[in-house]
Amino acid sequence: MRAIPLKSFASLAVLSLLVTGCGQGLLGGGDGAGQTAAGKDEPIVLGMLIPQSGSEAAIGPYMSNAAQLAIDEINAKGGVLGRTLELKTADDACDAQSAAAGANKLVTEGIDVSVGGYCSGATLPTLPIFGKAGIPMIIPAANSQELVDQKLKHVFLINGTGSQQAAAAEKWITKQGSKSVALMHDNTSYSKDIALRTQNLLEAPGGAEAAIIEAVTPKESDYSANITNVLAKKPDFVYWTGYFQEGGLIARQLRQAGYKGSIMVGDGSVSPKLVEIAGAEAAEGLYATMTQTPDTLEGAEGWIDAYKKKYGAEPGPYSNQAYDAVRLAAEAVTKAGGTDGTKVIAALEAIDGFPMFSGPLKFTPEHTLANGGFQILVVKSDKFALQDSLK
Amino acid sequence: MTQLIWNGLFVGSFYALVALGYSMVYGIIKLLNFAHGDLYMLGAFAGFAILGAVGGVSSAMALPLLLAVLLATMVVTGLAGVTLERIAYRPLRRAPRLSLLITAVGASFALEYGMRAVAGADPRVYPVRLGGTSFEVLGARITPQQLVLIGVAVLLMAGLNLLVTRTREGRAMRAIALDPRTSALMGIDVNAVISRAFFVGSALAGAAGVMAGAYYGKIDFMMGFLIGLKAFTAAVIGGIGNIPGTMLGGLLLGLLESFGTFWLGGEWRDVFAFGVLILFLTVRPTGLLGERVTERV
Repeated sequence: MRAIPLKSFASLAVLSLLVTGCGQGLLGGGDGAGQTAAGKDEPIVLGMLIPQSGSEAAIGPYMSNAAQLAIDEINAKGGVLGRTLELKTADDACDAQSAAAGANKLVTEGIDVSVGGYCSGATLPTLPIFGKAGIPMIIPAANSQELVDQKLKHVFLINGTGSQQAAAAEKWITKQGSKSVALMHDNTSYSKDIALRTQNLLEAPGGAEAAIIEAVTPKESDYSANITNVLAKKPDFVYWTGYFQEGGLIARQLRQAGYKGSIMVGDGSVSPKLVEIAGAEAAEGLYATMTQTPDTLEGAEGWIDAYKKKYGAEPGPYSNQAYDAVRLAAEAVTKAGGTDGTKVIAALEAIDGFPMFSGPLKFTPEHTLANGGFQILVVKSDKFALQDSLK
Repeated sequence: MTQLIWNGLFVGSFYALVALGYSMVYGIIKLLNFAHGDLYMLGAFAGFAILGAVGGVSSAMALPLLLAVLLATMVVTGLAGVTLERIAYRPLRRAPRLSLLITAVGASFALEYGMRAVAGADPRVYPVRLGGTSFEVLGARITPQQLVLIGVAVLLMAGLNLLVTRTREGRAMRAIALDPRTSALMGIDVNAVISRAFFVGSALAGAAGVMAGAYYGKIDFMMGFLIGLKAFTAAVIGGIGNIPGTMLGGLLLGLLESFGTFWLGGEWRDVFAFGVLILFLTVRPTGLLGERVTERV
């Protein structure tokens, strides 16, 4: 494997590597038919680090449920290389310390591939932990530029990046013929990144102008002070790049304050809850920049039904990315012929045209999506529907 | 300008309501009840549950119904506050101050994650919303519902002030604040009075929770955390332990945030507000009206 001295591994990680290494050696020799007893007994374990407590705890189940759904489907079809898949989750609480502890726990539990990561700030410290253990990471949701800046070989992002989202936003703002844009973010690196990138794109002469960039404090109820600031600039377009809880309140309070122009939200705000919080009246006609969702994807109705049937609730934000992360991990392990980290990474790099919700997958050299697949959604009678695919 | 003042006063009246409970408890037993913000959260959820049990209502009936729910919720959170005091704080009343403080933090977590276990992590949305169409007064947009909420807040605060300054109960509270042991010797049932103080303070926080739920619409299990901090700030600015001071502190904090956002931009608002807190702690730790420390409640 890598040139990392063995003694630096946690003892259990060594054990798990020995086990997987052994299984793979036997597989390599026997080619398909060589599925030994050891290989068959050992499930392929996928680890998922998600927020299960703390402020973002609402997101965790959306992701782990969808991942479990994918695993059940794959297992029902005979698993991967004759082995079953198994999901192990750990809590990152959207917090760096908890995330590091959770990652270590997953490593000692012997996971083969990591398919988690929602909060960018919590995902960042887990990169070296999984890296040292030789575990490839398919990150379904976290998409801060910082995650790929270090050019780590084992890190793959399958959510569109901030710059791709900002480009989609700018395209739509220009298409709408807006003149004056207010950008609102919640000061987290994800949200601020999109707002600043959109502002940069708007600086090009001619089109719309960024009139104000306003940061709000997340988890509050009253944004009237921020909204007074924004409306003082008389914008005709407001773009909120944060999450859905604040997004719903901001949309409602903008309308209450008499704002009549367009409102658009980023992908963190695309949730049925946003419409509920804003109220049907305030949410109607609200735009969103979003990667493809089950709702806007042809042939996904069956997927939503399956999810509903299993969990008795609608899938939520990042359910589809989590589902895809598991499918992608299964595909890569199949292609690699085993769970050896280096081979799985090579298989991921070689993937071309794997069908996902965000479109056919091919990674850039940076290990991000070649095409972010962002499109514009609009709220129509309480539901997000496709407005413009920006093709 | 008037809009800024109005925004500040409206938010500030919520801070003031929550801060009062903080201040009362601190005044009487010198405990910083960090779980107080979570009683506000509990109030919002209790109101939500009661509204859900009542079932669908026409929007014309929304306001009277909400007032009834408000009263019911105040009873629920008041009792919760009493229970909290009985279980978590009373056994430790003689313990070092630090143990009490840590217990309060523990109680706060217990309430937050207890609610998460019961109601789930997803935010909930109130079935009855106070939206309303706004009208302009001197350039500020005001809705009738905002006026009603502020009216309720003012009534509650005035009632509390009367209770503390004009009744036997209030006199007992003030006596305990001065010296619990002597009060006991004078025949005051200290435990009962402290329980009732917790009831009143928690009921006010619960009332604020229902009002916030009905006005803003969104409630979640972490909603009490930030407002608990803000209420603490408001209490310190006004003079912790002093009731009129705490009300003033709440309104002032609302105004500070409103103007801070306007002058410095949204990202600096909390820096501004908490900066003022630090300023007060260093320059005038007794707060604006906290001078007469001899009469704290």
